[in-house]
Amino acid sequence: MTSRLSALPVLFVRLQRPCPLVQNRGFKRWLRPTLQTLKKRKERMDPEPLPRRSSFTDWNYKSELFAFGKRLGEDLNLDVLRTAVTTREFVLNEIDQQKAVGIEIDIQMNDNSKMILEGSEIINNYSLNFLRSAFPKLPEEGVIAVQTYLTCEENLSTLAKNLGVADLMLTPEHPVEAVTLSNGFKALVAAISESSGIERANLFVRDFVMTQLVGKNINELWEVNDPLNLLSSILQRDGKQPFEPRIVAETGRNTILANYQVGLYVNKELIGLGCGESIKIATEVAARDALRELFDTTESMKPVNFDVESLPQTFANFSIQDWSSKNVEKLMKSSR
Amino acid sequence: MSNSHLLLLSGFPRAPLQNGIGRYVPQLKRMTIKFCKSSGDSKGTREFIESKLVDFAKENPGTVVYVKPRRHRAPCVQAEYLNGEEHHISLHNMSLEETTKWINLLPMRSGRPTNLRLRKYWHTDSPSIQGVWSPFTNRDPALNLAQFPMEEFSKRKNLTKTATEIILERWQEQKEKDSTAPVQEKTTS
Repeated sequence: MTSRLSALPVLFVRLQRPCPLVQNRGFKRWLRPTLQTLKKRKERMDPEPLPRRSSFTDWNYKSELFAFGKRLGEDLNLDVLRTAVTTREFVLNEIDQQKAVGIEIDIQMNDNSKMILEGSEIINNYSLNFLRSAFPKLPEEGVIAVQTYLTCEENLSTLAKNLGVADLMLTPEHPVEAVTLSNGFKALVAAISESSGIERANLFVRDFVMTQLVGKNINELWEVNDPLNLLSSILQRDGKQPFEPRIVAETGRNTILANYQVGLYVNKELIGLGCGESIKIATEVAARDALRELFDTTESMKPVNFDVESLPQTFANFSIQDWSSKNVEKLMKSSR
Repeated sequence: MSNSHLLLLSGFPRAPLQNGIGRYVPQLKRMTIKFCKSSGDSKGTREFIESKLVDFAKENPGTVVYVKPRRHRAPCVQAEYLNGEEHHISLHNMSLEETTKWINLLPMRSGRPTNLRLRKYWHTDSPSIQGVWSPFTNRDPALNLAQFPMEEFSKRKNLTKTATEIILERWQEQKEKDSTAPVQEKTTS
């Protein structure tokens, strides 16, 4: 309605004055509704797809591959690296595209499906070895829990993303999914092993995967389900007397802010100390504290030493079922 | 600190991926220098490309350097970092020395957003050595056997002497003096 009314006088003016091309200064009252309309139209449409970095004019895949190897401080074979970042779906996609165009299928591309398995094995072997020698007193269940955390898809994909693998991945999906990235990282380890030997691949795993342990609390990665029973069975295996829980201190009994400090004593010797809002909880916390002391994973433990060149092939740590401090001491002496 | 800083992102200085503990990874992955081949405001940039760019690329093999000429537009350098951040620096009307300084700044950065307000210039994962404080930290173990209420704890601490006490003390002193003085006299006489 308004548009019609406003259109009329304009017509009238134009008829009156035959030379109307005069630049008009003043408030641009059309600007706001125009921008509003454009914004509304944009909102109604689907979100714009993120552009691939490789579709930009400043992109040279060969240079990118070269710089990638140099950035990691590795002397990589570029063909092997290219295979490591090529997914199976990408190769199949290429074949389909060539078929659709009608070209005779001539694709000499390898994909990384084999390298993923190889890399995964290298990562698993080295991380187990590293963790066993870094935490010789930690039960095997704990070692496996820490290893599972370090080599999980989320962790490896974050590593791959922050090393710049995402831009290089040859894959039809965009943005690149976490599974593809984590597979790419595994294949990258295999590529390093193929180009410069298994030792370099192990050092790569140490420098990038194992260092993620810095600032992490091992006891948060592995939770003991029944600390009281576990502690008493360990004491039994060591031939010690059962522990005796005693209240060391308490405040605010019969209030909502009650706090008890319970100590566990074996033969009048304190083995663990814990606080809690009830005596039961405090006893459990004290048992966890005693276990931490036994497994050498206390909060005040020395930081993990990452400056290790080569590791001996270690055997599995003791499982929870047959863990005892006598056994562990014996094992540590024999390995030295 | 002005009020506009309250809306800034804030954080602590952190190395990406524990960089440097295992090995050092340069964080600048890509750099594009955009310039014009003819206009005067790109003069410093052109000189940089002619005389210093090759050395820069040799010193930083982990960085891919692109050079992008475009007509009659101001020169700038675009840096892409491993964490996905992009930094732009305008090189408009800069001399060769200025251009070199700004471009050499890029590989030294970690890619942290430039608008991040640092809450502190340091960071530690374990801020306390003694551990979490509890009401029992550094508590006298003798208190375990105490029976409450205790008279000792009901007393006021750091009391200064009252005037009455001072007078009483002086009176006591005087009394002692007086009691000893006659004895001395007797012994002398």
